[in-house]
Formats: sequence, C-alpha cells, structure tokens
Amino acid sequence: MKTVYVCNDTVTGIFSGIYDAWKSKKGEEECEIALRGMLSQQLFCDYVEVEETEHKAAAVEALIKKHLGRRAYWDIYHAVLSADSKKGDAVLGTMLAARAIPDSTKIMEHLSHPKVEKVFELSRNVGGEAHSYKGFLRFRELLNGVLYAEIEPKNQILTCLAPHFADRLPVENWMIHDKTHRMFAVHEAGKKWVILWGEEIDETVLEMVSDKEEEYARLWRGFCRTIAIESRRNPRCQMQHLPLRYRGKMTEFSLY
Amino acid sequence: MGKQELIGGQEMSDVRTCGRTTDVRRGMGLYEKLNILTDAAKYDVACTSSGTARKSDGTGIGSCEQSGICHSFSADGRCISLLKILFTNECIFDCKYCVNRKSNDVERASFTPEEVCTLTMEFYRRNYIEGLFLSSGILKSPDYTMELICATLYRLRRQCNFQGYIHVKAIPGASPELIRQTGFLADRMSVNLELPTAESLRALAPHKTRKNILTPMRLVQNRMEENRQEIQLYRNAPRFVPAGQSTQMIVGASPETDYQIIRVAESLYQRFELKRVFYSAFVNVNDDAALPAKTGEGPPLLREHRLYQADWLLRYYHFRAEELLTEEDPNFNVLFDPKCNWALKHLEKFPVEINRVDYKMLLRVPGIGYKSAIRIVKARRLGILDFADLKKIGVVLKRALYFITCSGRMMYPTKIEEDYIARNLLVAGEKLPAEVTNMGYRQLSLFDDVNFSAPETSV
Repeated sequence: MKTVYVCNDTVTGIFSGIYDAWKSKKGEEECEIALRGMLSQQLFCDYVEVEETEHKAAAVEALIKKHLGRRAYWDIYHAVLSADSKKGDAVLGTMLAARAIPDSTKIMEHLSHPKVEKVFELSRNVGGEAHSYKGFLRFRELLNGVLYAEIEPKNQILTCLAPHFADRLPVENWMIHDKTHRMFAVHEAGKKWVILWGEEIDETVLEMVSDKEEEYARLWRGFCRTIAIESRRNPRCQMQHLPLRYRGKMTEFSLY
Repeated sequence: MGKQELIGGQEMSDVRTCGRTTDVRRGMGLYEKLNILTDAAKYDVACTSSGTARKSDGTGIGSCEQSGICHSFSADGRCISLLKILFTNECIFDCKYCVNRKSNDVERASFTPEEVCTLTMEFYRRNYIEGLFLSSGILKSPDYTMELICATLYRLRRQCNFQGYIHVKAIPGASPELIRQTGFLADRMSVNLELPTAESLRALAPHKTRKNILTPMRLVQNRMEENRQEIQLYRNAPRFVPAGQSTQMIVGASPETDYQIIRVAESLYQRFELKRVFYSAFVNVNDDAALPAKTGEGPPLLREHRLYQADWLLRYYHFRAEELLTEEDPNFNVLFDPKCNWALKHLEKFPVEINRVDYKMLLRVPGIGYKSAIRIVKARRLGILDFADLKKIGVVLKRALYFITCSGRMMYPTKIEEDYIARNLLVAGEKLPAEVTNMGYRQLSLFDDVNFSAPETSV
C-alpha cells in the first residue's frame, strides 16, 4: 500500500519528509510526499505525519550534496522553494532516479525522466523569479535610515535574495518583506542576514520615509519616463519583460 | 526647487561656464539636468550590465553579477539596467545624425562629478540601477572631456567606494594615457563606431575619422591583453576593463547593406575581440540633407532586429557572415529570421536525427537554441529523446519539426521542400514583427531598406 508523508511547506519540513520516505526504503510508486494544507485525500493509502527536525534536514542536505553534487543540490533547493504542491514528490523521485544511473552527479542532465524534468522546471521557475526580483525589488529609505522593500513573489525566494543584497549592501540596514509568505529578511549593517517568520510590523512606521526619499523617487520616475524613445514605443515588449504583477511595488510605476 | 539644489550639492562649477546657454540656465535644478542629459543619452543602445562578476569587499556599496541584471523596462521595451546619462550635451562636433550636434538649438546642461556620484549612489542603494553608464558630448576638446569623465569615475570608485558596474565611453581622439586610466576604473568601455564604413563616417560625422575611432579600440584591446598576463602573475593586480569592450553602429542612416554591416561586425569580433556590437535603428531627429528623408514610418526596427539575430548567430551559433548573406543577396529576408532562412536554403542537410547529430549541426536547426542544444547533448547520453522530451527541454517544435527526426521518425509526415516548409511555417504563426503583419497594401519603403529589391520569400 502506498504511504503518503505529510509535511510542512518549508525546506526543513520537506527534507524531513524525504528523510522518512528514504529511510523506509520503499520504491517510487509506494511513497509520496504531500504538503500540509495542499493535500488531496486519496483512497487506499496510509497517511503519516512527518516529525520535522533540523537533524533530518541536515542529513538529507548532506546526502544530496555528497552523492548528487552541489549543482544538483542547487536545483533541488530551488525546486523546494517553489509554490508547486508536487515538489516534494519530484525531489524524492529525482533522488531515487539518481541511484539508477551510473554517475549520480549527472542526474540533472537526465531530462527525459519525468521527475527530474519536474525538478528542473521548478528550479528554473524559482531561479527566474529570484533573478527578476534582484532587479525589480525597490527599497525606500525610512525615517530611521533603514532601507525597506516589499515583494509579492509566488515562490519563497527570500533566501535567494538575501545573500545577494547582503553582498551588495553590506554597510546598510535593510529589510525585505515577503507579503505572500509573511516572511522578512533582515540585515543589520556589518552582520549576517536573518529570516523572520510570523512577525507583525507596525504599518505606520513603513509609511514614514526620509526627507530625500520622495525627491529621489521623483528623479527616478523622471529618468524612466525620459529614457524611452517615443518613436520606438512598444508596450507589449515591455509587458513581456516586466509583467504587471511586479509593477505594483515599483517606484517608477507608482503614482505616488 | 529648493530641495533639488540641496541634493545637487554645489550647483554650478567652472565646468559649465564655457557653454553658450550657461547664463540662461544658471538656476537649473538636478531634476531638469537629469531630464536633459537622459534625453540626450537615450539613443545610446548598450545598456547591459553583464560580463563581470565581483563580490563586494564589505566596506563599500555594490557588486556585479556575471549575467547582468535588468532593473526596469521603459515604455519602448528596452531594459533599464544602468543610469544612462551624458556628462554634458554641449558638443563641439557636428555629427549630422546626432541630436546634440553643435548646430542644433537644444537645451544644454552639464553635470558636476559630485552630482553624478550622488545620483548613482542614491539610485543604487534603492536598487533602482545596476550601475552607471556615462557618455558625453565633446566639451572643449576630447582630452578635456575624457579628463572630466575620468575624474568622475575616480571620485565614484575611490571616494564613494562604489563597487557596482560602470560602463564608460572612450572619447575618440583622447590621449591614450587618459583612456588607460579610465579603463582601470570602469568595467566596460566602448568606443562608438557610429557608422559601418569610413565613407559614411566622412559624410555624416565630419569631425570624426575612422582612425580616431579604431585607435582607442585597439589600445583598449592591447591593454586588456597585457592585463590578462598581469593577473596571471599577480592575482590582485587591478583589473582593466574586466567586462570587455563593445561598440555600436547606426543602421539605416547610410546606404550600407546588411551584408556589409555584419561583415564589419564579424571582423570587429575577430580582430578587436569585442564583447558585443550593438545596432541602433536610426531615429531621424535632425532635418539634414545628408540624411535619409523622414518618411513617417519610424526607425527601421525590423532591420535592427534581423541584425541582432544574425549577430547572435555569429557569436553563439558558429555561423560565418558569408553563410548568412552574400554580395548578390545582401539583405535579410523580411519574413524569416536568418537561421530559418539559412535552413530553408540548405534543405539537403535536413532532417537531422536528434539522438545522433553533432552539436554544431544541432545549433543550426531552427527552433533549437544554444541552451536547448546543450541540454539535448547531455540528456541523450542518459536516454533516448522523443518529441515530448524535446518540448520540455525548451525546443520550439512548431519550427523544428520540419528539420528533425527522433529515432528515425518525423513528428508529422512532411515534405522536405522549401515552398512547402516556408508556407507551413508562415501558417503556423511564425512570429512576425509588427512591420510585416501591418504591411498590408503598403510595401516596405526605401527608407526601411536602402538597397531594396524584391525579397526572396519564395512563398
């Protein structure tokens, strides 16, 4: 009978689920990783609640890095951040498929395997969104000098963005607010960044911006308007590269 | 107004006192200046931030990503990655195609180095931009201008400790020493070729010569080569133009054919080791007898598009210029992209078997890009590929299906016949640029395609 491992939608949760499934030594057809809250009930299967521990997650991470290599881990990690409900299953399937080929580190090249293809697709999607937000995210300077940004991504990309901005703005205090997943990435000047879950934030503080903020926003809006060449106007092309869903939080598209 | 002056810091410096319009605009704020100098810079095309990866050292602001990052897209669909501005739009040259030529009556303005630094730093902090693109009109003399640019970059790098991307223009005719100094502060440097041939340059840019443009280009190339050896010896030697150099030329202002243009591009890639050649569809901003007449059709965007497609074929797809076009057939097909066009003319090489054909031939199949080609080569080592797999890998099957087989089978029964495939590709919604779909009764104009002859569409 099939066993369904139910786990939380976090990296630790999913890796814990994979740990349990892997330990049970069952084949690909006999186990499934499902996410709490995104579960569709099926007949004729066992539901097992996964106990989430750091230890399990670390063990799975080490297992993947050792046998599939760092590049494959990069893809798998990104796939796990995705908003897709079948992601845990795809990762488990990929890990099982890796055992069947001669050189496991080449698993991500095995694109004719459906699970590998799924991980590849998810990873590409998450990586793509993270890359977009590296450009489209906008900070505003609050009264206390903190740079604050809001994003509404589909996938949980904060852990992809934070290292990028920590490297780029090491001497600044900044904070990125993921409104979809209610998470924060917080960076204090000169220190390491941290992720916060479930914190509440005082909205009024966020509305108070520094003296020069409005001025720079105006300069930037002016720049974006002027740089376009009128005789080459092409809103469809603009839309293709910069879909509307990103624009809500962008300085140059807000009418202040 | 008060606020703007505040930001601008010192609002006038001796730099600006030589211009004709200085007296009139003495009170100009930063907003107006930015507006004028952005407007003057917008026809420059090279707005990429790629080619170099650099971590921050932890004390300043900024880093670079190898792939580059687009921060926004303007209404014309072009990416905004860098703060693209001119240092000044005052110019002693009189290039006929340029909006800033000295005989034009436009509003003139100049930044001070401080203003450029403040704008860059503040925009960068807010993640508006990936870096600075600094070009300039020629103020007083090439050397004088180059010195100002160099001073600005020096201030930005050393005083503001800015470690983001900087793309700077080398001014033709500036002294080699200044160009060398600037190169150590910038990531990418470019000298504009402006026009594809020396004759056109003589006709349209009387103050520029081919020699003056190619000299700094060669200089940068040689210095980069030396720098590569320095870095081998001393790992921490300062980097000279780490993201390489690029250039741009205007398409459609002079009578060159597409063939001539891509031959020039090809030789620039081979002989000057350029990273990129950019093509800029000519936007007619001046009424000058030497320029093509205004036709109300806008810039030759389709032609520019085809040139970029061909450019990619040269750089990533192992094509040579003479494979794409010839003296007898010197312009690109309006209906098909250059690769598709090549495939239709070389049907004897198709169909190819996906599971066996070598990488270089895979690159030549329409609908397969260089990334899909690499994926195919890797994936077929681990299993036999079918059409469904190709689709997932990213191959555009509606184009590729006429040229490939999987395990000896074609996707649908098709004829390997030029007319048949061409017709089907068009019916299958071959993505046509607006110029062609909107063509209707109106044929392409002389302006659009200078050596216009009936296109060989074979449809």
